[in-house]
Amino acid sequence: MSSATATAWVGELAQRHLDAAYNLGRWLLGNEQDAADAVHDAFVRAMRAADTYAGGNARAWWLAIVRNCCLAKLTTRGKDQRNVAIDHVASLHGRDAADALLEQDETDHIESRLESAQRSVLMTQALRELPLEFREALILREIEELSYREIADALQLPIGTVMSRLSRGRALLQKAIKPAAPDEVKHGL
Amino acid sequence: MDCSSARELLPLYFDGELDRASGREFERHLDTCEECRAALIELDSLRTRLRNDTPRHAAPAALRERIARTAANALATPHANPRMRWLALAASWALAFVAGGALLPAWKIGNEPPIARDLFASHWRALAAASPVDVVSTDRHTVKPWFEGKVAQAPLVRDFAEQGFALVGGRIDYVGSARVPVLIYRHGQHLVDVFVLPPADAAALSHPLQREGYALEPLRLGDQAAVIVSDMDATESARFAQLIGAAK
Repeated sequence: MSSATATAWVGELAQRHLDAAYNLGRWLLGNEQDAADAVHDAFVRAMRAADTYAGGNARAWWLAIVRNCCLAKLTTRGKDQRNVAIDHVASLHGRDAADALLEQDETDHIESRLESAQRSVLMTQALRELPLEFREALILREIEELSYREIADALQLPIGTVMSRLSRGRALLQKAIKPAAPDEVKHGL
Repeated sequence: MDCSSARELLPLYFDGELDRASGREFERHLDTCEECRAALIELDSLRTRLRNDTPRHAAPAALRERIARTAANALATPHANPRMRWLALAASWALAFVAGGALLPAWKIGNEPPIARDLFASHWRALAAASPVDVVSTDRHTVKPWFEGKVAQAPLVRDFAEQGFALVGGRIDYVGSARVPVLIYRHGQHLVDVFVLPPADAAALSHPLQREGYALEPLRLGDQAAVIVSDMDATESARFAQLIGAAK
């Protein structure tokens, strides 16, 4: 494959799975700017590496590169503590976020909307607080609907490890949202 | 199946990773076991909540454009990256670039029917893969039967080795969500894909298209609509289309 062909092919692939890449970036890095930068880095890297693509699932190959760039960004960010994830700050003010969401909409079903906004804040926070290795596996499986094989390729792990991470991640997430749920309802209104 | 082995299969069943036979066996256990049913419902409600309650962040338009720009720049100057200069490969890349046509059009999205994007992408994917051919054969009596049972209608297969277009084989590929047969020919150094299209898709492609040195040429293959995708120039492409079109 010539370099121009490779570039065009990677461009096509990246555009097709850009939402998946960006969503993964957002959940790994927590804010828009870092996620966008990481996905862009990944694209540049993918263009250079296209000649080494050896067949197999192209989406998983692309997401593997995206993830590596996200992890690289996490490492450099860890060294530079001045950068704070914007989403994380917002999540600490979950109630405000829920309120803001409510203000946009002035029709009646306030109760149910408040409830669903709170559910959303709770779930988002629980997922965000999940250790990274479980979070990424869950995002790829439940949101992006990748198969075990694809997840294994994207995370560069054996399938068995993917299965145990999924199952552990689900259990942890279940636990994280359970005790809080009745509490939230009680203080809801 | 006892409960403990069912518990191990439960996530696999839930994630659609169990083969059919084991799936049925698991379902038989499920019918009799309330605990396993409850566990399955719990997994499902967690999934529903994840999908409904957490945002799937869509890529911002700015990022989409930024990537398209980077791709266009890379196509215009493939050796602009300073790191590349240190690679021994750089020289051969530059050569390939000059040989491949120095003036490539900037990469744009959305200026052609989506089916054309699919076809170009399938062709590139095939070129990128380790082997672009599923059934390797220069014998049309091998290639045609291979398609039987894999697609609704096996295409007309002819070899044009004498005219310079040798049949090398076939594969099944996707165009949109349809499985289509693809015939593969070799012309000099060019690998030529002939996609056989469902009638609905064929309507969107009425005339030849070019993109980054690759050409797409619609034609009739027997009573089916088809399209040639390759990096041959327009004259060669048209000549091949004529050959195929005349075949009975």
